Amino acid sequence: MANPLTLYVPIKQDPITQAEAKLAYANFVSSVQHGLDGSHIVHYARLALIPNPGGTGILAICLITTFDGPMNPYLKFFWNNGALQKVFSGLAAIALNPPNPPVTDLTGFENFINNNNLNNPNDLYNTYPQTVRQIQGAFPHPA
Amino acid sequence: MTNTPMPPPDPRNVQGMILRGYTHPYSCHMLFTFAGRPGAAGFIRALLPYLQSAQDWGDNKPARMLNISLTYNGILTFEPALAGQFPTEFQQGPWSQGSQASLGDTGPSDPSLWWNGYAKDAIHGIVHVYGNTADALDSLVAIVSQAAQANGVSEFLPLKSGNGRLEEYAPLRDFIHFGYHDGIDNPALGWPANPASTDPSDANNFLIGYPGSAFSPGPETGAAGKFAKDGCYNAFRILYQDVKAFDQFLTDNAPKVVAAIGGSQDQAMEWLAAKLVGRWRNGSPLILSPDAPDPKTSDATKFGYSGDTAALKCPFAAHSRVANPRDEPTFPGTDTPVPRLLRRGMPYGAPPAPPDYDGERGLIGLFLCGALAGQFEQLYSWINVNNFSDVFSPNLDTQDALIANRIPPPASDPSFTIPIPNGNPIKIPSLPQFIVTRGTAYGLLPSMATLRSIAGP
Repeated sequence: MANPLTLYVPIKQDPITQAEAKLAYANFVSSVQHGLDGSHIVHYARLALIPNPGGTGILAICLITTFDGPMNPYLKFFWNNGALQKVFSGLAAIALNPPNPPVTDLTGFENFINNNNLNNPNDLYNTYPQTVRQIQGAFPHPA
Repeated sequence: MTNTPMPPPDPRNVQGMILRGYTHPYSCHMLFTFAGRPGAAGFIRALLPYLQSAQDWGDNKPARMLNISLTYNGILTFEPALAGQFPTEFQQGPWSQGSQASLGDTGPSDPSLWWNGYAKDAIHGIVHVYGNTADALDSLVAIVSQAAQANGVSEFLPLKSGNGRLEEYAPLRDFIHFGYHDGIDNPALGWPANPASTDPSDANNFLIGYPGSAFSPGPETGAAGKFAKDGCYNAFRILYQDVKAFDQFLTDNAPKVVAAIGGSQDQAMEWLAAKLVGRWRNGSPLILSPDAPDPKTSDATKFGYSGDTAALKCPFAAHSRVANPRDEPTFPGTDTPVPRLLRRGMPYGAPPAPPDYDGERGLIGLFLCGALAGQFEQLYSWINVNNFSDVFSPNLDTQDALIANRIPPPASDPSFTIPIPNGNPIKIPSLPQFIVTRGTAYGLLPSMATLRSIAGP
């Protein structure tokens, strides 16, 4: 069964942070492609930039994913993957309220994800119950 | 990375049950709520003379001794500034949605029914008391109880039966109520000579504060890291064992076995019991003794599953093959390395006298690990849904045959398939629920130094 993660991170308003957010958005798919391909548990992942109410600038970054199984046991996979850790650490670094203490270990990473996740396991509507591995097994990718 | 071995932990600073399995046949596990820091400190201080470290006791085996677990709320009683600095699942508790996504306690196991009606988050400390004799145990339990009363610390009585306490049923030591020999295999707890070692049975996967573990026991840094150093998490889980359902299952399904492979009803029941667990009830693993139990293999731990690719000896979903897959290939990255747990459990409650199955009985489970999510919860998620290895393909949704929570389809498939040579597999459409969770608490077994520190002068 799939579960949701909606990581909502309000960010700082200075020009450097705003530029970093745009860069993270532009590079998102390429920066996570290899790591998420290797996980075989993530159905979809996308990054959205939430605009300020006035229409100028970026209020927050929102990372929205749907993945198989429980989240907590698999966070170590994302923490142990250098490229994925870099993406999440980048989000933590530009947060308006950065994690305190800073994220330096798996415990801090887990807390950052859970403290900024807007969803719970029971929140998700599913059209289908199959996992990524079940789907990939049924529809093998052409060589 | 340097190849210089990291210094091993000082056993004098580690609580004893972490690094060694006790052989004391009597134990009682007492649950407490603290009213405030001064009383809690006085309580811990009164217990320090009996607190057992992991230092080798040589020929002077203590007649009585204890270890102490503190929950997150228990820790905050002493150190409120550490709020938010422990792993999420430890902070939120095993009843939280995040943990339940792995543990899957539903129906009669639902967390709302846990702990005999006591508030789950009011458990602050668990005192694990051990004795060489019943009298030795009773005398130390009385001391703990008096220390609690003297310091305004309240005791929970988590069972509806007996005196309400979780007491080991000593005559059944090293067996569980379903009749299986237990406690056979535990991680070796070696100390990695090479820091790059990824052996999940090394001690740095269980003790907090040492580098090199893929499971990253934490917190590793800051004030919480200092507090937790040389500690280990304790997933304390009380599991009622429904012996009536188990015996009925064997009786009902044995005729299928007789029809498939012959033999008597009694032989078929034992064969089926072995297929559920992957070991005969005497402990002999099916991989080494596929046809009958053998006293020579009853404590065997040196074997693997990679040669049994069609599960003709041991079903893929057999309990011991799921909970400790050994050399079974698991999915790289997300499911590798395979997590291990230190199991320090014991039976509680008297066995039934069939046909009378009334009474409370089961397992006092102490599952020790360095990372509750990455080790304990991950293994439990595999138990509830066998999705960690290609051997379960294409559906990847069967369950541990013995201890899984029977989560309704389509999340899992409660059927059980037993391949047999030269014939169609025996298929059981729906396994019953054999286990009911009576309660779960996440504790930290802090270091000796940390316990002395919070106890104060």
